[in-house]
Formats: sequence, structure tokens, C-alpha cells
Amino acid sequence: MELQHIHPEPTSFLKRYVFSEDHKYIAKQFIWAGLLFLLFGGILAMAIRWQWAYPGREVPAVGKLLLPRSGGVITPAAYQTVFTMHGLIMIFFAITPLLIGAFGNYCIPLMIGARDMAFPKLNMLSFWVFVLSQLMVLVSFGMQLGSAGAGWTTYPPLSTNVGTPGHGQTLVVGALFVTGVATIMGGVNYVTTVIRLRAPGMTYMRMPLTVWGLWLTAILNVLFVPVLGSAGLLLIFDRSFGTEFFITGAAGGKGDPILFQHLFWIFGHPEVYILILPAWGIVSDLLSFFARKPAYWYKGSVYSMVAVTVLSAIVYGHHMFVTGMNPLLGQGFMLFTLIISVPAEILFLNWLHTIWKGSIRLTVPMLFALGMVFVFGLGGLTGIFLGTISTDLYLHDTMFVVGHFHFTMAAASFIASFAALYFWFPKMFGREMNEALGKWHFWTSIITITLVFGGQMIAGYSGQQRRLYDPYQYTFLEHLRGLNKATSHAAFALGIAQIFFIVNFFQSVFAGKKAERNPWNVGTLEWEVTSPPPYHNFDVVPTVVRGPHEYANPEVKKLLGRDWLTQTEVLPEASAASEEDPGKAAAGA
Amino acid sequence: MASVVALRPRGREDFTASLGMVVFLASWAMMFSSLFFAYAFVRARSPVWPPPGVPVLPIGLPALNTAILLASSFTFSRGLAALRRGERHALPGWVAVTFLLGGAFLGLQGHVWLSLGRAGLHLTTGGIYGSAFYALTVFHALHVAVGLLILAWVFVQALLGKYTEHNQVKVQLCTMFWHFVDVVWILMFLTLYVL
Repeated sequence: MELQHIHPEPTSFLKRYVFSEDHKYIAKQFIWAGLLFLLFGGILAMAIRWQWAYPGREVPAVGKLLLPRSGGVITPAAYQTVFTMHGLIMIFFAITPLLIGAFGNYCIPLMIGARDMAFPKLNMLSFWVFVLSQLMVLVSFGMQLGSAGAGWTTYPPLSTNVGTPGHGQTLVVGALFVTGVATIMGGVNYVTTVIRLRAPGMTYMRMPLTVWGLWLTAILNVLFVPVLGSAGLLLIFDRSFGTEFFITGAAGGKGDPILFQHLFWIFGHPEVYILILPAWGIVSDLLSFFARKPAYWYKGSVYSMVAVTVLSAIVYGHHMFVTGMNPLLGQGFMLFTLIISVPAEILFLNWLHTIWKGSIRLTVPMLFALGMVFVFGLGGLTGIFLGTISTDLYLHDTMFVVGHFHFTMAAASFIASFAALYFWFPKMFGREMNEALGKWHFWTSIITITLVFGGQMIAGYSGQQRRLYDPYQYTFLEHLRGLNKATSHAAFALGIAQIFFIVNFFQSVFAGKKAERNPWNVGTLEWEVTSPPPYHNFDVVPTVVRGPHEYANPEVKKLLGRDWLTQTEVLPEASAASEEDPGKAAAGA
Repeated sequence: MASVVALRPRGREDFTASLGMVVFLASWAMMFSSLFFAYAFVRARSPVWPPPGVPVLPIGLPALNTAILLASSFTFSRGLAALRRGERHALPGWVAVTFLLGGAFLGLQGHVWLSLGRAGLHLTTGGIYGSAFYALTVFHALHVAVGLLILAWVFVQALLGKYTEHNQVKVQLCTMFWHFVDVVWILMFLTLYVL
């Protein structure tokens, strides 16, 4: 089975540190690129919250510098750009590279026992194409009339030349296309790698749930990112080449803006699962690792994630209930939307069962995993109101929607990213992170996150529309000024709390305590190699004999004196009893 | 029977490479599906199709073009089969013929665009009908153009003798892309010109 070659580590500077084809190095590159843009998107979020707390007042510290012409006040046009780019940057240039680019690259080969991705060169290209898209975003801010301003959904007619005439908008739509190409390159790699490069004995049902989540995400990426690509393409045709797919009404065309909404959400709904499936997988694994118990109903979790993946393709219409769609169609979409919450609920119950009566270790990654369960629960429950037509008609386009998707996409996905970062950091950088700072980071973040997005939901339930420049121009929203101010202050605290992470991250990367091979005592394959792993990962490709969650087995405790087993260990006297297992394993490989 | 065996992918790594190509083409197929979806959407919303006053699309020339592209797929796969039989000197010839057929397709496509333009169907003033027609055909033609670049590269490499019956997977991946572009064209021909 020794079919994967060991490639020698390249020695030239460029091949080693810039255009590296090593999946572990590319993962780190994605981490840096993602964290940088996370900071950028976060600063934009602070600007939005400033505007909602103190509309028309000068932004402190940086206002005069960034907005000299208005004297530091956020103008309506600047506000458009700020909330648009906050959304786009966070989704496409911060969560995607962190959760999928970094952990997909890092975890998939190591956890399935491969020496690298199936196509290392494509992997390298994927990162640099992604960097190109990030540069396009940065350049768009320097354009006349500024960057994109049509909202993250980029709905026409606002996103056509009629609504946003500047080149910034075109450039950002182009950046989305380019980042899509990078995502597809990565996706092709992930899908193929999991199918072809699993170590002997690593059957599909022995893969860690992290790998399941990342793999299903890759499949969704490969199939649905191109749909966004073609929506963006048609929009660019309209903007730059004079077609009229989306131009209608007073702008003098026979096109239809609703067409864009269809294409956008055919992509957009799978996209929310693209961003949550890896988080689900990671959290499912971490809860088992730190409750020192096997993940409850592993197969049920796998089937649930597969069911969500399939269903995610046919629920997109619930974003469009108020576009005047055929009521029968609307009912169908509502039905599927409520059905998709069933597998999500199974997964959720599996998490609770996993930690039930576990011997829980409240390490930093575990805290973040539990935090993800909490915020995802809030986000999931409030989603039901938006998936049901009768309630959605009232809540649509309010701050309730904003609160809901921030709980799921922003809070749950990012908290899971942090859980993953704290968990795999010792493996990635060979150093440990500071636990006290990590705990400070967790508690300050989880409390403020709940306050911020909870505050948004209450504002929305009281009728505040999303994206309003100055909500208090409306007398019926006057009384929400206090609530919005409190929410904004919680948001500023959330922003400041990230300093704990920044300090901890830099300190640990450069001066952290040296990490040992397996600091968490867990049994998946990546912990059997040194921290950080050698260039080719495994000197000998391991042979896997069991699933990823072998904890609290009394037999093992008696034989080895510990509560866990790796995926490759063969128990001394049990080897005769499990004769069948290696046979099955070979067949599965 | 022997040829069937010969056409199977060689070895583990070749299979991995072709699987990656299949995944990539599935992704690109979704891109084209979305464009077809947009076309269907626009057409379904329009009370009359084609809208009154637009020039009638020709059928003869595009049909001939379809045949030409089909023939090019055939010649390319003959070239691959020859390479796999060990006749590596035959490959450059087949690739050259494929390239010429592909070029002829693009030339005829350009001719169709020009004559439609003269008849009054323009990209910018042709309304939604012109938008849909040109967006789909131009986007496809771009893929043919990329395919021609790839063919030129394969031709040079083949002349240099870089491919052998044991080192043929790159040629195979290129044929897969070329067949894909061909299949998309057949669907596009049926949708735009026939239906």
C-alpha cells in the first residue's frame, strides 16, 4: 500500500516560504490571511455599531484620518460601503479561509493519514488566487466612489450601474468570482484527497467527524460556488458590457432583478451550511475528546450531516418569501426548511448526549466548543421563525434576521474556528498557547457575543429594519436608542476582548512553551507524529484499526492504565479477538 | 475488447488525477447550469419568445458547427487511443486536426455573431434576448479558446515526445476538458437554436 511517495523538502526560499506546496504551510498562510481580514472586518463592524449608537457623531481616533472630507462623520455613502464590506469580508475573506482554507488544509491529510493533498500544486495555486482576490478587495477601497455598497447580497438593481456606478463595486464582484475559483480549486483537492488518500483501514465510518464536516463542505463548495460565479458573471456583463439581465423599470431594460436573487440564494443557502458543517464536525470531535467519552451515535451524526448537505440545496427559497413567489412554492420551501432542522437537531442532541455524564475537561478548546453549542442553539432556534412564512413576513429584513445569522454564521462559525485554533495550535506551531489568556478570551467573547446579537434580535423584534443609516429618524424607533447604544457598547467590548487573543497568539507563536506530541491525550492520527509534524507527515503511512473516539474503555484502562486509545494501536491480547477488523479495514481501503 | 482495456486509466495516480478532473468538471457544469437556468428564467418570463422584431437565428451554420465540434472530440480521442496503443508518433497529427476543427468552430461562431449583428441583434441593444444569446455563446466560446490554447500546448509537448503510453494522463485530462466543452455546446445548440 506504500503508494504515496515521500517528496524531499524543498530548499529554495521561494518554494519553502512563499509558494510552498506543503498543506501544513499553506494552512498557516490561510490562517494569517484570514486573521488579518477578520481584524479588518471587525473594525468595519465597530464602525457600523458606532453609527447606530451615535449617528452623525465623529468617529473617535481614526475618523478624521479615514473620512477627512466629512470631518470624521460616517456619511450615508461611506456607511453603505462599511456594512457591505463588513459582510463580504467576514464571509468570503475571513471565515472561509480560516475554517475551510486553514483547517481543511491542515486537518484533512493529517487526520486521514495522507502525506499531503492529492494535488499539492493546485493547493498552492488556490492560496495565491485567494490572495489575489483579497488584493482586489483592498484596491476597491481606493477607487473613485469607494468600494462596493450594494449590501453583501449585492442585489440588483442597487448593484447595477444605476445604483452603484463606481468601479469599486465591479472590482468586488470580480473579487468574489476570483475567490470562488480559489475555493473550487481547494474543493477539488479536498474531495479527491478524502476519496483517494485515506490510510489503510481508514474507512469512511472511521474518519473523524472534523474530516466529515470538511469533506461535505468541500462537496457543497464545488457544486454551489460556481452558481455564485455565474451570478457574478452576469452582473459584470450588465455592469461592463451592456447586457440587461437585471436592468428593468425606469433604468430601461426588460431584465429581472429577481433572477439574481434566485442565483444568489441557490448558492447562498448551501453557503451557510458550507460555513457551519466544518464547525459542526470540529465541535463534535472536541466534545468527545474533552468529555473523555465516545461521540454519541457517531453514525447518526454522519448521516445527519449528509442529510443537511443534501437538503441544503433545496431550501434556498426561504430567503425570498417576500418576493411575491407562488404561495405553493413558498410552502414547499418552508416545509423543506423545517425538515432540515431535524437532522440539525439530531446532531445537537448527539452533542448533549456526548457530554452527558462525561468526565469533562474544561480546557480552552472545550470551552469554545461548548460556547459554540450554546450560540448555535440560540441561532438555530430563532431560525425557525424565519423559515416559517407567516412569521417571516413580519421579521424579514429586520435586525432579527441580522441577529439570527450572526448567532449561526458569525458566532458559531468563528467560535468553532477559535476552538480549532486553540486545539490544533500546539500541532501547527509546536508551541502551547497561554491557558489563562485563552480563558479570558473565551468568557469575555461569549458574554459580549450573546449581548450583541441578542440585542440585535430584540431590536428587530421591535421593528427596526436592518441597514438603516439612522434608525432614529423614524419616531417609532426612537425608543430603541438606549437598546442600540447598549448593544453597541457590548460590541465594542467584544472587539476589545479580541486583544486577549491577539496577544496570546503572537506570544505563543514566537515564545510559547514547546508542545509535546500529544498534549490533549487524544487518539486521532495527527497526534501520533511530532509537533509540528515532519514535511511528509508520516514516515510510515499508519494502518488504522478503529474509529476516532476510543475513550473510557474499562478494558483499556486495565491493560494500559489510561482512558484513551489511538486509532492505530492494537491491543496486546485483543488482537486475536478482533481478527475480523483488519480484514474489514483492508477491504475498505 | 483490447481497446476497452487500453482505455482504462492507468495506475493509482492516474485515477486520482482523472477523479480530480471529474470533480472540477462537475463544478464547471454547475456554472453552465446556472447560465442555462438564467436563460430558462428569462425565457419563461417573456410573453413571446423570441421577442417580436429580433432577427431569426440561423440553424444550418450552427448545426454544421455542432458537427465540427463533435468531429474534433472524435479526433482527439483517436489521438489518445493511438498514444495508449504505443503509437506516439500519431498523436501530434490527431491533435493538429483537433486544433484545426476547434479553430474552424470559433471562426464559424464568429461568422454567426457578425451576421446576426448585421441583421440587428446586438449585445447592448438586443434587449434581454440579445443579452441571453450572447452571454451564453460568448462564455462558451471563451472555453473553446482556452481549449485551443491547451491543444496547442499538447501539440508542442507531443512533438517533443513528452508523452508515452505510460505517461498519458495529462493528454487524457485534456480530452476530458475538450469533451466537456463539446457536450456543453450540444446542450447550448439545442437550447438556443432548436427549442
